[in-house]
Amino acid sequence: MAMIEAHDLRKTFRVHRRRSGGLLGLVRRDVQEVEAVVGVSLSIGEGELIGYIGPNGAGKSTTIKMLTGILQPSGGVASVAGLNPARRRLEVAKRIGVVFGQRTQLWWDLPLIDSFELLRHIYRVPSSAYHERLATLSEVLDLGPFLNTPVRQLSLGQRMRGDLAAALLHAPPVLFLDEPTIGLDVVAKARIRELLARINREQGVTMLLTTHDLADVERLCTRLLIIDHGRVIYDGSIEAIRERFGNERTVVVDLEHAAPPLCIPGVVVTRVEGPRQWLRFGRSDTTAAEVVSAVAASARLRDLTIEEPAIEDIVRQIYEHGVEPKRDGDAGTGQDDRTVVSRIT
Amino acid sequence: MLARLHGHGEMYLRLVAAQVSAQLQYRVSFLLQSFGQFVATFIDLVTILLIFNRFPSLAGWTLPEVMFLYGVGTLAFGFSDLLCGGFDSLSRMIKTGTFDRVLTRPAGTFIQVLASDLQIRRVGRIAQGVLALGLAISWLDVTWTPPKVLVLLLALLSGTIIFSSIWVIGAAITFWTVETSEVTNVFTYGGAELVSYPMPIYADGIRRFFTFIVPLAFVSYLPALYILDLPDPLGLPPILQVASPVVAMMFLLAARGAWELGVRHYQGTGS
Repeated sequence: MAMIEAHDLRKTFRVHRRRSGGLLGLVRRDVQEVEAVVGVSLSIGEGELIGYIGPNGAGKSTTIKMLTGILQPSGGVASVAGLNPARRRLEVAKRIGVVFGQRTQLWWDLPLIDSFELLRHIYRVPSSAYHERLATLSEVLDLGPFLNTPVRQLSLGQRMRGDLAAALLHAPPVLFLDEPTIGLDVVAKARIRELLARINREQGVTMLLTTHDLADVERLCTRLLIIDHGRVIYDGSIEAIRERFGNERTVVVDLEHAAPPLCIPGVVVTRVEGPRQWLRFGRSDTTAAEVVSAVAASARLRDLTIEEPAIEDIVRQIYEHGVEPKRDGDAGTGQDDRTVVSRIT
Repeated sequence: MLARLHGHGEMYLRLVAAQVSAQLQYRVSFLLQSFGQFVATFIDLVTILLIFNRFPSLAGWTLPEVMFLYGVGTLAFGFSDLLCGGFDSLSRMIKTGTFDRVLTRPAGTFIQVLASDLQIRRVGRIAQGVLALGLAISWLDVTWTPPKVLVLLLALLSGTIIFSSIWVIGAAITFWTVETSEVTNVFTYGGAELVSYPMPIYADGIRRFFTFIVPLAFVSYLPALYILDLPDPLGLPPILQVASPVVAMMFLLAARGAWELGVRHYQGTGS
C-alpha cells in the first residue's frame, strides 16, 4: 500500500512586484506567476525510506509542505496514510511526524521531557501508550542523559535526537524529514543516519527525507527522487544513479608551485587556482590512485582531497546526457569500497 | 463536543503553564519587566490626574467617573494584551516558519496561536487597571446592586473579548502583509487610550465608527452609563448599555472569520 502518493501535484505562487518606486509603485504592481512545483507524481510504499533531493529552489520544501497539509496545492492530488492532506489536515497531522532540521519544535527554555509532555497533550496520546513509546524512543535515541536538560543547552546533535523523538511520540506511520542532518558534524550526522535507518527498519516507519547531503541518501535510502525546476527528473535506485552519474570524481591537488593545467590521460582539468587544480576523471577510465601517481610524477604534490559529486553535479549530468529516468531494478553493482549502502527494507 | 472543549482547555492550560514556568526561571527579569510595565502605564493615569487638575470635568464627567472608565478599559485591554501575545507575534511566527509547525499539528490554528505566547510581565498593566478601578470605586458613590455588579463583570469580560478580537483581526491581516500593521496598533494601544475617556469628547464620525464598526464604546463607556446612572448625550438606545456581551460575541465571530480567511490565504501562498 502506498503511504505517500502524489498525482500531478502542482503549486503556483503569485508574486507581486512593485513596478516602480514612488507613489505609483504602491498602487500598481505586477503579478508574476512562479511555478514552484510543476506536476510531481510519486508513490512511496509502506516502510520505504526515500531520499528527495534537488538543488536549492527546486521545489523540495514546497512538495513537503503540500504533503503535510501546510500548503494547498494549485493542482493535483496528494494522499498521505490514505488521506488527502489538503482536505483533512487535522487527521493527517495525527498520522505524520515532521522534522524540520533547521527549526526545532521543542520548547527552548524547558527541559526536553517537558516538551514531550506538551506534545503528548497536543497529540492526545494516552498516558500508557506515551510512557511505553517514550521508553522505546529514549532507549533507541539514547535520550536518557539529557532528558532533564533545557533544550537551549543541548548540542545540535542531541537536539536533533530530541526532535526525532518529538516527531515520533504519537507513533506516526509516516515521517517527513526536511534536512535532518543540516549543520551537524560528521559524527552526529553518522549517528542520526544510523538512528533513522534503525527506526525505519524496526518500526516500519515510512520516511521521506529531503537533504542536500548526497551521503545521507547513499547511506540511508534504497530509492531516490531527484527534483529540479519543480519536476521529478529521476525516480529510481541509488545504485543506478551512481552507476550512471556518480561515475565522475574530482581530485583537488595542491602543488608546490602554480603550474599550467596538468596533462594526464583520462583527466580533465576543470579549474586552476594558483597552485591548486581540480582534476575530473571517470572511474571507468582511471582510478584516483593512478591520477595521484601521475600528478606526483609530473609535479611536487603537497596535499590532495577527493570531492564527491554534489547533487548539483548529478542534476547537471542528467541534463547533459539527457538520460531517461529509469525505475529501480536495473541497478548494476555500482558499489565500491568507499560507500556503504544500508539496505533496510 | 464537551470532551473536545475539555481537551482544548487542557492543552491550552498546559502550553501556557509551560511558558509561565519558563519565564519564572528568570525571576529578577520578570519582576523588573512587570514593574516597568506598571510604571509605563502609570503615566496614563497621571495624565488623567493632570487633566482634572486643570479642568473640573470632561464632557460633564468627573474625575472618579473618568477614573472608572480608565480602570475598566485598562483591565479589559490588559487581559487581552496578556492573552493575545501569540497573535501579536504572528508576524515573527510566519517569518521563522513556526506557523508551518502549527499547521502540522492536530489542533486548530486559533487555539495554538492563542497558547503560543503569554508574557506574564504583562500583568503590570492589569495591576494598573486594578489600582485605577479600585480608586474609582472608592471615590464614587454607587449603590452596588446585583445587576450593576453583573454589568461590570460582563463589561470586563466583553471588553477583553472585544480587544482580543482586534488582536486577532490584526493578526489575520498579517497573513497578507507579513509585517504587523501599524493600523493594528491604532486600534489596540490607541483603542485602550480611546476607551479611557468619555465618548462625547470625540467627533461624531469617530464615535459612530467606534460604536458600530469597531465596538470599543461597549468596552467601558456604555456599561459605565448604566452603572453610574449617567445621561447619554448621544441618545443611543439604553439597551445598548447592557448589550456589551452580545456585541463582543458578534465581534469575536467576525474575528474568527477573518482568522480562518487569513489561514486559508496562508495555505494558498505560503510565507
